[in-house]
Amino acid sequence: MNALALEVAGLSLRLGACCLRDVDLAAAGGEILVLLGPNGAGKSVFLETIAGFYRPDAGRIAIGGRDVTELPPEERRVGFLVQNFGLFPHRTVAQNVALGARSRQDESQVAALLRRFDIAHLAERRPLLLSPGEKQRAALARALASRPDLFLFDEPFAALDAQTHEALRDELALFLRQSGIPAVFVTHDHGDALALGDRLAVMAAGTIVQRGAAGEVFARPASRSVAHFLGVENILDGRIVANGGDGLLRVEVGSSVLSCRSPAPAQNGKVALAIRAGDVRLNGAAAPKANGADNVLAGRITALRTIGPLCKLTIDCGFPLTAYLLAREAQGLAPEARLDAAIAVEAVHVLPGGES
Amino acid sequence: MVESEIYEDGAAAALPRPSPSLMLVFWLLGSLLLALVLLPLISLIATPSLADLIKAARDSEVRNALWLSLAGAMLTALVAGIVGVPLAYLLSRSRFPGRGIVAAIVDIPMSVPHTVAGIALLMVFGRRGIIGAPAEALFGLRFWATLAGIVVAMLFVSAPYTVNAARLGFEAIDPRLEKVARTLGMGPWQVFLRITLPLAWRGVATGLTLTFARAISEFTAVAILVYYPMTAPVQIYELFLRFGLDTAAAVAVLLLVLALALFIVFRQVAYGRTAPLGPGR
Repeated sequence: MNALALEVAGLSLRLGACCLRDVDLAAAGGEILVLLGPNGAGKSVFLETIAGFYRPDAGRIAIGGRDVTELPPEERRVGFLVQNFGLFPHRTVAQNVALGARSRQDESQVAALLRRFDIAHLAERRPLLLSPGEKQRAALARALASRPDLFLFDEPFAALDAQTHEALRDELALFLRQSGIPAVFVTHDHGDALALGDRLAVMAAGTIVQRGAAGEVFARPASRSVAHFLGVENILDGRIVANGGDGLLRVEVGSSVLSCRSPAPAQNGKVALAIRAGDVRLNGAAAPKANGADNVLAGRITALRTIGPLCKLTIDCGFPLTAYLLAREAQGLAPEARLDAAIAVEAVHVLPGGES
Repeated sequence: MVESEIYEDGAAAALPRPSPSLMLVFWLLGSLLLALVLLPLISLIATPSLADLIKAARDSEVRNALWLSLAGAMLTALVAGIVGVPLAYLLSRSRFPGRGIVAAIVDIPMSVPHTVAGIALLMVFGRRGIIGAPAEALFGLRFWATLAGIVVAMLFVSAPYTVNAARLGFEAIDPRLEKVARTLGMGPWQVFLRITLPLAWRGVATGLTLTFARAISEFTAVAILVYYPMTAPVQIYELFLRFGLDTAAAVAVLLLVLALALFIVFRQVAYGRTAPLGPGR
């Protein structure tokens, strides 16, 4: 079957203060699509519209090639996992899983599901005091009992501490890869997006502002606001000074000039550059070898702060630049110290539209 | 809402420890209220002799009045559940225009003097009332001198307790649980009966208990709409007027014991259930 796991076309919805505008989105079979966006972007409303809780003003939704636009939630065959996993507190784990079964035949699978998710020993327990990991497994077992065509995740990890969050995310990623059931995962967490997403769509103010392979979206944000949301530390205003024949664009930023390997934007003049702090290499005493493919800038530390194993530095190199060192490599550094920063020409990303 | 599971165990430890002097003063003030409630009831119970009580309990008129009060209050709680719980759900879950007004209407009976309530009910359910007259003509259903009239009067004054407590019960449920249930294949009616109502059970049961208690103790509105046949409170008033305190006290004690015993049983049912409320509450 070649049908797309999920196909949303021209979806529009106005719901109180929230609105979705002409959203197109598709996910292929077995794919995990992460929908990333700031709070209030409309991600949850979008997900619940796919699940069938809101009737769109326009557009259509198909799941596994089946048009579900007019169907109620109970007929859409989606597995819906929410924050805290949404287990029914008045029922035991086994009863929760059995509630997912749509038929007698499905009910006979409950015991097998409990074993598969390693929660058979919790069958008679009520969910309230389960660990987050146990809750996630019980919720997945319950959703699976309803034999969904598509999983929908609405920030299931939002209330967890960092360690649990990471452990549960790894477990979920493993389960989704093994089950082959496609999923849409809504989050505002970059880590979730990178760890889970085959593909990524960034939503802001009710529209999809960028989509693509997860790594690609993070490497090449489509706009200044996307770059900002994706946590790009250095977003710099600049002016194109030369469009060299060597395929390198030269952009004046502050009192320095940076080279970047990027096609020139349509209109010359003002641009914005995005540089991830992780792509800036620093070398205290010895200057980094300038191999032609690097921008090498002489700078002066203006601020530094140690955060766990990393030290975050702000360097004045004609413009303020944020970079990281390992904390132990930063020992002995202090404000006013001089060092050189090297940035590969490929790591300087020109944001289209400049100012916007 | 999310993290409260953690607090559930630590709640006792998290209580602030007030200073001894503050505790002393507050206990003294609080005791005045407790005494105000308990002293009259205790002296009432101590008034009639056992022989008086037995005699009263054997009187068929007294037994009929007690039975009528009990049946009326039970029916009232039942009707309040049938018409009040849906209204509570609407108020907690849907955002419709005039929702605040509806909520206020529900509360009106609690601020209307019960003499006023009785007279107003008489105008609607009486012989020439806009409901009373056609109900008798079409169905032969009379609200005067009948159990139906007693239930109507009791319902007017006691239904707000069911609506408000059930509403709190519904509001404590994470709406996402209902959404998840829908995606698992349950239709809206199934979700309400299998998920929502059981989770709101404690609120609903508390409301029904309060409604029952308020209904069995109602005098004024019932007496205006239906003086005969007499419910226990009406009969106690009548005995008091005709024979004085001692005769009335014996029936009063019987009603008090009956009402309190049932109140305690219902409360046990409402709170005794081990099923926890909504997520983490």
